[in-house]
Amino acid sequence: MSAIIETQAGTPLHVRQAKRKKQFYILLTAFFVAVQIIWVGIPIFMAVMWSLVDPANPWSFPDILPQSFSFEPWKFVFRYTNIVRALRTSYTVAPLAVLLSFVLSLPTAYVLGRKRVPGRKFFMLIVLLPIIMPGMVVALFLSRVFAGIGLSQTFFGLVLAHTLMGMPYMVRVLTTSFASIPQDVIDAAENLGAGTWVKIREIFLPMIRPGLLAGMIFAFVTSIEEFNLTFVIGTPTYETIPTILFSFMGYNFIRTNASVVALIMMAPNIVMLFIVERFLKSDYLAASLGKM
Amino acid sequence: MKKILAVFVVGLLTVGMLFAAGSREPQVQAPSLDLQSASWNEIVDAAKAEGQVIFYAWYFPDYFREAAEDFEAEYGIRVNLVIGDQTANFNKVIAEQNRAVGTVDAMVVGGQWVKTTLDLGLFYGPLQNIIPDAEHLAPALWEMQEGVLTNGYLTPLHRNQTGILYDPQRVSNPPQTFTELEAWIDANPRQFGFNDPSRGGSGQSFVHTVIHHVAGGLEQYVGDEEVDPAKVANWNLVWDWFNQRKDKLTFTVSNNDSIVRINDGEMAMTFGWDDNVQDMINRGNIFSRARMYIPEMGAAGGGDTMGILHNAPNPAAAALFIHHLTTVEQQRKKFEMVGAYPARIDIEMEGTLLSEEDRANNALAWFPAPYKDLMISDFVRNVLMQQ
Repeated sequence: MSAIIETQAGTPLHVRQAKRKKQFYILLTAFFVAVQIIWVGIPIFMAVMWSLVDPANPWSFPDILPQSFSFEPWKFVFRYTNIVRALRTSYTVAPLAVLLSFVLSLPTAYVLGRKRVPGRKFFMLIVLLPIIMPGMVVALFLSRVFAGIGLSQTFFGLVLAHTLMGMPYMVRVLTTSFASIPQDVIDAAENLGAGTWVKIREIFLPMIRPGLLAGMIFAFVTSIEEFNLTFVIGTPTYETIPTILFSFMGYNFIRTNASVVALIMMAPNIVMLFIVERFLKSDYLAASLGKM
Repeated sequence: MKKILAVFVVGLLTVGMLFAAGSREPQVQAPSLDLQSASWNEIVDAAKAEGQVIFYAWYFPDYFREAAEDFEAEYGIRVNLVIGDQTANFNKVIAEQNRAVGTVDAMVVGGQWVKTTLDLGLFYGPLQNIIPDAEHLAPALWEMQEGVLTNGYLTPLHRNQTGILYDPQRVSNPPQTFTELEAWIDANPRQFGFNDPSRGGSGQSFVHTVIHHVAGGLEQYVGDEEVDPAKVANWNLVWDWFNQRKDKLTFTVSNNDSIVRINDGEMAMTFGWDDNVQDMINRGNIFSRARMYIPEMGAAGGGDTMGILHNAPNPAAAALFIHHLTTVEQQRKKFEMVGAYPARIDIEMEGTLLSEEDRANNALAWFPAPYKDLMISDFVRNVLMQQ
């Protein structure tokens, strides 16, 4: 038997299998790292490089890297655009929009996730409409409604508009979270005399927390990146970061300044994602077992 | 953790409410002054009473910011400047077209949108008899912008011109005639490119030039208010010209994309706008060795204009700001900062990207707008959508 599982060189089969497994993991890791570098690393590296291009010595063919660096593109953005005002607005509107979309999504998600509602799938599709339709189309139609009820050019109107765009993500993720709560956990709690409030506090909220955090990330990022609604409903009274970014992209594409604004927009989001990701990981297992 | 979260939420709501309370509600009263019958002094007084002007553009943020600061210092009128995206700017004013009072006073108008916006009646006018020094601004641009009759509704902001942009390190003897260009394209596949004409004027200008040479000249279209089917019957020759060279041409997605690809070495030659190229040079987005000229085969030119929205909340301030942007000082300043060729014809400029000789001899006028519309749609259908 031992003769069968040993190679001609005498290496045991389990050693060879372990070696192959290790090689396979190394290959997978290398592939993952390569994909990360290509899809994430290179664009960020290019954005950093372009944001530091010296206007006096442009980064041009055949140079592999810029010949000299300068903070001129950064100075330009801070001197000539409303970036500070836009940052203030974006990071005030986004958390409020997340909060509001959570409050508004919670009952909908609960019903869709836990109750047998006729036409459930239809409602799930309807909820997605704001993100399925082209942004400018939504913006043009909604702007009339907002103007009609006096919400155009108001801070609350802007928060509401961003909430609308974040809600589809929040509803979908929370619905799945509610649906995945095991019924026996709820039954057990009821048998032990848990009332509605106890069930909400001890079962529902801990168990939907991972979904809630994921929904918050989606809603937050959607708000930070929202352009069309803000532009039509909010400007000139309010500007957000994408309204500045779009002035350097699209038709009037200016790589140096677009890179600066993209990095400004990206940095706080990355920090927030790391924080939330950490929060999500540490709580996920406990939450899924209902031991929070 | 819960306490921190609670403090954060309460803080956020407080900041939000303070922010909301501090926001300015837009002016909702319709203006009473009739700009057509008012004297200029009355307009200036009314502008000061209005107290602010809301102006939209999509390029030259540096120049417009400084011009706004100069205006505020001179008149004490606040400028709310929004540098947005061209399409979004126009979509916004179209969305607000039926409101009695909109949220935008005045805006820059590019050739791509002039027909749509005039057809929709978005602009107040005419302005030619209101703006001081109107006679010193390019008369052709007061009358027509990229083939569309504007009848004095849109005030010239600057003139611009398309031409051939090239990298002198890679092109030693750039073509002048159409035959030379054909030979150059054949000898240097993919090294000449232009943008999809539905996405930018420089690409439109190149297709316009090809029509000029392949379909029997542009003179035949002058004065037509509608497309004459007999005059476009031979445009199939134009589409054949493109399709035969499709594998030797590079199609780009915008004016700026063409310039970027020259900088990156993907192409060596393209059609571009002079002000656009100069702005990209100033901001380090293309090498300063870039050269530009108007070839003997011709290239179209025009300019950008400004209009006051028919439902502007501050029309007098808008008129005053437009006047401010067309003064000699501001036109010079714009040229020095961003290289835009002045709309004023009473000042001379040195150091322009395109020579005055080229402008005088080789610049073409656009054919009428209906032909331009047809050119764009036919190009997309007969060239871009063909295998």
